[in-house]
Parts: sequence; structure tokens; C-alpha cells
Amino acid sequence: MKAVGARLPRYDGVAHVTGRSTFVDDVRIPGTLAVKALRSPVDHGRITGLDTTKAESMSGVHAVVTHKDVPLNSYGHLSALGIPADEPLLAEEDVRYKGQPIAAVAAEDEETALAAIEAIQLDLEERPALFDMRKAADPDAPVIHQWGNWYPHFEAGFDRRQIRKGDVDAAFDAADLIVSGVYRPAAIEQCPLETQTGLAVPEPNGRLTIYSCTQALYFSMGVVAAHLQWPLNKLKFVGGTVGGGFGGKVDTATETICALLALKSGRPAKWRWTREEEFLCSSTRAAWHIEITDAVSKDGWILGRKTLTLHDAGAYARFSPYGVTKHSFHHTGAYSIPNLFFDGYCIFTNRSPTSAMRGYGVTSVSFATEMHVSRVAAVLGIDPFELRLKNANRIGDTSPNWVTYTDPSTVPTIQAIAEAIGHELPAEYRTATRDQREGAWLPEHLVAQLGSVEAH
Amino acid sequence: MAKHKGRGVSAIEYPTGMNQNGDPSQAWIKIKPDGRVDVFSGTSDIGNGSKTIQSQIVAETLGVPYDWITYDNSNTDSSPVCTGTFASRATFVAGNAVLKAAKQARERLLDIAAKELEIDPADLDVVDGEVVAKGAPQKKISVPDVAAAATWTYGELITGTGAQLNPYAAIVEPDTGRVDLPPHAAISYAACAAEVEVDDETGEVRVERLWQCFDVGKAINPTLVEGQIEGGALMGLGLAVLEECYPYYPSVEHRGSEFGSYLAPGIEGLPEVNTIIIENPSADGPYGAKGISEMANNPQPPAIAAAVYDAIGVWVTELPVTPERVLRALEQKREPRREGRAVIFDEELSVNTVAAEDSRFRYEIPV
Repeated sequence: MKAVGARLPRYDGVAHVTGRSTFVDDVRIPGTLAVKALRSPVDHGRITGLDTTKAESMSGVHAVVTHKDVPLNSYGHLSALGIPADEPLLAEEDVRYKGQPIAAVAAEDEETALAAIEAIQLDLEERPALFDMRKAADPDAPVIHQWGNWYPHFEAGFDRRQIRKGDVDAAFDAADLIVSGVYRPAAIEQCPLETQTGLAVPEPNGRLTIYSCTQALYFSMGVVAAHLQWPLNKLKFVGGTVGGGFGGKVDTATETICALLALKSGRPAKWRWTREEEFLCSSTRAAWHIEITDAVSKDGWILGRKTLTLHDAGAYARFSPYGVTKHSFHHTGAYSIPNLFFDGYCIFTNRSPTSAMRGYGVTSVSFATEMHVSRVAAVLGIDPFELRLKNANRIGDTSPNWVTYTDPSTVPTIQAIAEAIGHELPAEYRTATRDQREGAWLPEHLVAQLGSVEAH
Repeated sequence: MAKHKGRGVSAIEYPTGMNQNGDPSQAWIKIKPDGRVDVFSGTSDIGNGSKTIQSQIVAETLGVPYDWITYDNSNTDSSPVCTGTFASRATFVAGNAVLKAAKQARERLLDIAAKELEIDPADLDVVDGEVVAKGAPQKKISVPDVAAAATWTYGELITGTGAQLNPYAAIVEPDTGRVDLPPHAAISYAACAAEVEVDDETGEVRVERLWQCFDVGKAINPTLVEGQIEGGALMGLGLAVLEECYPYYPSVEHRGSEFGSYLAPGIEGLPEVNTIIIENPSADGPYGAKGISEMANNPQPPAIAAAVYDAIGVWVTELPVTPERVLRALEQKREPRREGRAVIFDEELSVNTVAAEDSRFRYEIPV
């Protein structure tokens, strides 16, 4: 019996589709309190007053927390990579997106918790907001982030991610045609069936057990431990079975606030986001703005490319610098383009912070690059399959930052699709392989970019 | 007014594992006195099927039936580090961790079996739950008997631990983006064709058929990898023609707050999806596998938008390709500006039009 390669049923598939799997909201601990949050009603504002005394004195309310209750209020998601923190767990001086959490309440039930939220006195001075990334560097743009309107902490103090390869000016001088276009994939919501849900339970031995829907148990445990300034052995995360995430449950949305409320009240605290909170307050896939200009020859070689990418990070950095870097490494898609000039900015706007979603950083590349290649083919009057096969990356070619491709399958996958839909290819394209370039597949402009296959 | 058919194609690549790596996964295994196997991994299963895939890898590597495996990823007290289920890493990175743990447990198992059979462990193999002598299959002992001997005769616990860590690839030249090591665990590849029908009266784009070819390295479980690819196609369809948090982006007005006001794909709009899997094994992946889970929603949007151009002759480069955008594009029939050698599309969207004169985002297009 072979296990690898077998069409075995999903480990927990029957339990899932018969409603018998246990997700966080299915966990019932006696004495559990319900959590609700006070969220920013404005896109951008300064907090001038926050008074929780009335809420705290209400019957059935067991704990209220604000930023003053958090041992380390700002903790960077990417601090391990040297990226500093910019986002408070609970807002302190200002709010930068509608829905940003300011305070949270644990009460006997959700109705009481909501009434307590209503009773919190919040005074705000609304400020002008920035929404259009393209205007982030305009002289009259409001400055909405303590670091400026775009992320300034790439390596060596760079305020953008750069890729430079080959001689891009020579490529544009040599081009027969120059094709430019703009591509704008939208922000979208991950839409997991299970909304963000967390439950923190104080244990008799002083530990906290945290039931979590995180996609990353140890990552989220690290985030909670950092905010609480606790060692890992005082925390136990329970999870591993998640009702859909698609990237939206890499951010640690509920766990730390549940932990703070559980510790303050001495009772288990559960926070289950409503569908409305999931749509309006959770992180989304980012909107991207990508401008591509290609230098091409009349017979369909892409000689060089200039790219400007603006990434809509929303109000805080979260994983966005990582997404922009990943985007830059892959910005030529499945093609070998030897001469490159890429600038990518991670722009702050007054919308929900954007973060991971399926295909992070590269879904935008796939759309922009493929649309652009289709356009180049249309402008030149060349079959779009042939143009792709011609420029496809092959074994021994190098990526935008000089990493050698060891096993690219661009050529065979395109050929398989052509065959599947009955698109006839000329013999030279039908018999092309992914093997190292030689002969007609190794034109002069692709010689200098070749890497060493043996090195890997 | 008429309906127009069109076809478009795309080709994509996508990395396995966190960009720049540095993302460990660990696992450990213990064998019960009756030979049944407990696997402890910290990998969250978000519907991607990693409980199944990792159990299959352990069963194959140990040489025992799949249904002997119990997989526990339920808590951080018993399970070791897994950086997380993202970056298409659960099969490749976490899968390599359980593979290494299973190899180590298999070695311990063979050590005990060697004592029982009085045969050198190098001359033993595990097949279908039995330890057999290579070339002399009549000399054998069942894995349950080996586990029992370990427990009751030798006073030992058969375990294995494993960890996978691709070292962090640092950017050594921030001006060019050069890295000192490959910044990914592997790269996967795919191509896609889309066939659409566009109604030039209503602007509606109906995606009728998708063909998708993915190089998965090795399909550990063909049913699950097909599920990833077909599920991804549906998400790609949403990206292409339906979904947007901000319908009038960059404005934040009219943001949908429920499924009734945020359009996500449903079964009713499902096109015919044809999936082709090819297997060019990865040198470093478990049994040659690569991660394809995220990229499964990447190839459809550009293939669909190119098919719309093929159908009605206009490029819609802002996603999603809604009826409103299709109708506006048909009404405006924008032509690119041509100057010298340059063909300049979408000038109305460009920073060169929208940003202030002295914005640092503006740039020159060579002509």
C-alpha cells in the first residue's frame, strides 16, 4: 500500500461536513464572559478624551481595558525581521482607520457588553484622511503615520524596495517598441466561514489557555507573550482546526485582548467577531497600483522592464513590507527579463490595515504582468501563447535578484494548456523545452543574465 | 446588442515557503505499544488538508498503514514550533519536518527489530506494517510486535524528531535587491486559459470554462491537490469579476458589511473547470512535492480579463471586471497614446496624471 499519491479522504472531512468538528466558538467553559470592543467611528482622528468609569460601574461588567492595561501596547508583527512596531493593540493618541479598537469590555453577556461600550465616553477630533495612494507624496497630502506616508525602514534606510538588474537604459535604447500600462487589483476580504474568534481561560496554576483560530499557533502565542511580557510557558494555545483563513488569520486579532480581560476579571473571556466586524474591521487583501513599461523587440522579445508599484498597506505596516519585498522578487512573473528597474512603495492610507491573503504579494504580479504581456502580444500582433513561450523562464535563467531557476515548468504548463484547448502551435514552440537555453532560444540579450545551475 | 465570446491565457510562478525563508517547522513522533503512531506537529489545518498530507507522509516513510496514524496539532504544550499555515509551506516545509521525524522513528524501529530478528538493521525494510529482511521476506516481524518488544522487553520508547529550516536569505544589496541565498524553498508553475461570454448590453462577464495546468512536483494526495486548484479557481473568479471591499476605491464609501452587499463567488456562477496536473519533482520537497495552495487563485484574473479583450476589444485593467467597468470601457473605447516608439495605455490612471506635478512617484516613459 502506498500512502503517498493515494486519494485518501480528508483527515477531518466527514467531521467538518457533519458539523462535528470543534471550532473555538464550540468550546464552552462555565463562567465565560462575552467581549465587545469600542472601535473608531472615524477614518482618522485624535483622541481627546476617553472615560470608562461609567462602563466599569455597570452591573454585569467585569472588566474594561484600554491601552493603559497593556504591558507592551505596540508590538511589531515583523520585529523578528528587524521591522519596528507602529501599531498599538488599543489606540492611544490617535485612530487611523474606521473600526480601530480603542477599548474592550468583558461582561456577563454580549448585550451587557454592548451597553457598556455605549457607556464609554470617547471624544475625538476628526482629521483629514488619505485614501488615494497615488497622492501620498503630494505636497498637500495629510501626513497620517508617524513614519510619513510610506514605509521607510527597508534595509540600509531605504524607503522603497528596489530591484536593479542589467542595463535598463540600453534595453530601452535598443527597443523597437515601448509599451506602458497601469494595473489595479482590488482590496478583497478573505471571507472565512468562521469569523475571528478567541477564548482566554485563566487556569488555577496561573497559566492562560487560549483557544484560537489562528493559522499560526506559535506565531500568535509569540504575539500574546510579547504584549503581556510573559514567557511562553505561561501560555497554552489550543487550536489547529480553523474554519477558513486564507491569510486573514495570520494577524492576531482577538487573542491578546481576551487574555487581558481574562486576567483582569479572573474569568474566561470569549470574543466572537460579528460578520460585520469581519468585513469592516479585519485586515483585507491589499489594493495594488502597478505601472509597467516594457522595452520590446518587434519579433516579441521583452528586453527590459521598468515598474512602479504602490501597495496600499492601510493604516499600519503589519506584513505589508514583507508583501512588497516578495512582490519585487517575483515582479517579472514567469518570464526572463534581463534588464530591470523596479521601485515598490508600501503606502499608508486611512483604511483597515491590509495583510496576508492567498498569493500574498504575487497575486498582484500575476495580474499585472500577464495583462501586460497579453497587451504586448496584441500590440505586436503576435500569438499570446508564442510570446509567452518565447520569453518563458528556463532552467539556468535568473530571477530579478539573480537567483537561478532550477526547475521552471513555464514551458510545459503553457504547452499543456495550448493542447487542452486545441490551440495549434508552430513546431518550434510545440517542441520547445524548459531546458537550458541554446541556439535560437539564447539571443544575445539573454546571455548576461544566465546563472549557474551547478551552484544550487 | 450581442453576446461575444473570447479566450485568454496566462502563465504564472509562485514561491513555496516564506519569502527569504527563516521559517522553521518541527515535528515529533512516538509509537504506541501496539505499533500505532502519534504525530505531533504545530501546523494549523485551515482547510488546506495538512493533517491528511502530513499523515500520508508519515505512513509512507514509516511503512505502516495510513489508518495507524493519529495526528495531533491541537495545542502548543505537546506540539512543537510551526511558523504557520501560510506562504504555501505546510506541505513542503512542515511536510519535510514530519518526514525527518518519521525517518528517525523508522531507524529506532529497525534497531529494535534487528535485535528481535538478529539481522543487521541495514538489511531490513518496513513494508505494510511489517519489518522484513531484504531478499528474505519470510524473515519478518510485525511493527506491533517490535513496538511491544520496545515497551515490555527493552524498556524503550520509539520516537523521532524532525525540523526543517531553510536559512534566512538576507538582502545584501538593498539598491539592487540581491540576496545571499535562494529566498524560497521552491518555485511552482502554472498556466491557465479562460473562455468568457461578454454581454455588451448589460456588461456582464460570464466565465464559461477554465483550463488550468499546475506543476505540483508530486501530488501527495491527488484529490486534495485538485481540490486546492479548483477551490483556487473559484477564488480567482471572485478576484476577476466580483469581489472588492471598496466598490468606489479609493473612496471608502459603500464598503460591503455582509454577504448581501459583498459579492463573493457561489456555486451558481461556477464555470467548467478542467485541471491538468504535471509532476516535475522538486529536488528538496517531501517526495518531490511543491506548495501550490496560494497560487491556485493567481492565474484566472489575467486570463479572464484578456478573454474579455478578445471578446469585445477593450482592456479592463482595474479589478474586478464588473458590468459597470465593462460598459464604461465600451462607451469610452480608449485608445493608447502613441508617441515615437511608445504605446501608452491607461494614462488616466497613472501617477503621471493623478499625482501632483512634483510628486516623487512621477516618472518618464522613454519614447
